[in-house]
Amino acid sequence: MPQPLPHPSGPGDAEAGAVFAALAEPTRRHLVAVLGANGSATATGLAAELPISRQAVAKHLAMLGRAGLVSQTRRGRESLFELDPRPLADAAAWLTTVGAEWDTRLADLQRHFKT
Amino acid sequence: MTLPRSEGGPTVGRTDAEHVSRSVELDAAPAEVWDALTEEALLAEWLADEVEIDAEPGGEIVCRYADGEERRGEVELVEEAERLAWSWRREGGGSSRVELVLDAVAERTRLTVIETAPLRATGPMLLAGTWGAPLTRLRDAVRLVFA
Repeated sequence: MPQPLPHPSGPGDAEAGAVFAALAEPTRRHLVAVLGANGSATATGLAAELPISRQAVAKHLAMLGRAGLVSQTRRGRESLFELDPRPLADAAAWLTTVGAEWDTRLADLQRHFKT
Repeated sequence: MTLPRSEGGPTVGRTDAEHVSRSVELDAAPAEVWDALTEEALLAEWLADEVEIDAEPGGEIVCRYADGEERRGEVELVEEAERLAWSWRREGGGSSRVELVLDAVAERTRLTVIETAPLRATGPMLLAGTWGAPLTRLRDAVRLVFA
């Protein structure tokens, strides 16, 4: 039975922050890359591809799950993990939107001081 | 933090991780720029269409835009003519922190802005989206109790 981890309903700053925090760690970025390439994998399968224990993999997967980047499906005795790229797009959108907002504001401010 | 010098428009600074950063040089001394960051009438020329600000730590900031959007937040840091920071929340989104830093450059001022997305997912139970709002309310409640 699918067990979708909590996922934000839409783009927003809080979600962006969680995504950035999740991706700040090199091992988690590696996990995201491996999941993206393989489609889905078990924690055991992922541990075989990385120089860390299955337990450490599970911990990182939980962090990625909290950011909405990884969803989990039960398969027999093991869980199958899958990458959900939507929060990545949301986080990128946050950066783009906020950057564009400041470009506009600061251009207006510069104009204000030009006599 | 070192940021590239800017002669023309805003310089794109670090846009890695959770930060968006921009830097501009303004034709005014820091004291004059400070007024543009803290006086409502001047803020309305560049930050939003209408701005209310109580420019002291814990003060409220409200930004209203022509399209009806409203952002509310709280002033966090006030160092006259040097640094100003607030947290604000866009409607339907999470909150983020804005920090403005003023540096005197000859007769002018370099203004650097850094907007940071909140890092809520640092604790095991801090689930983005799901727990953000209740935690904010909890924090507000605690602040009221201990104020």
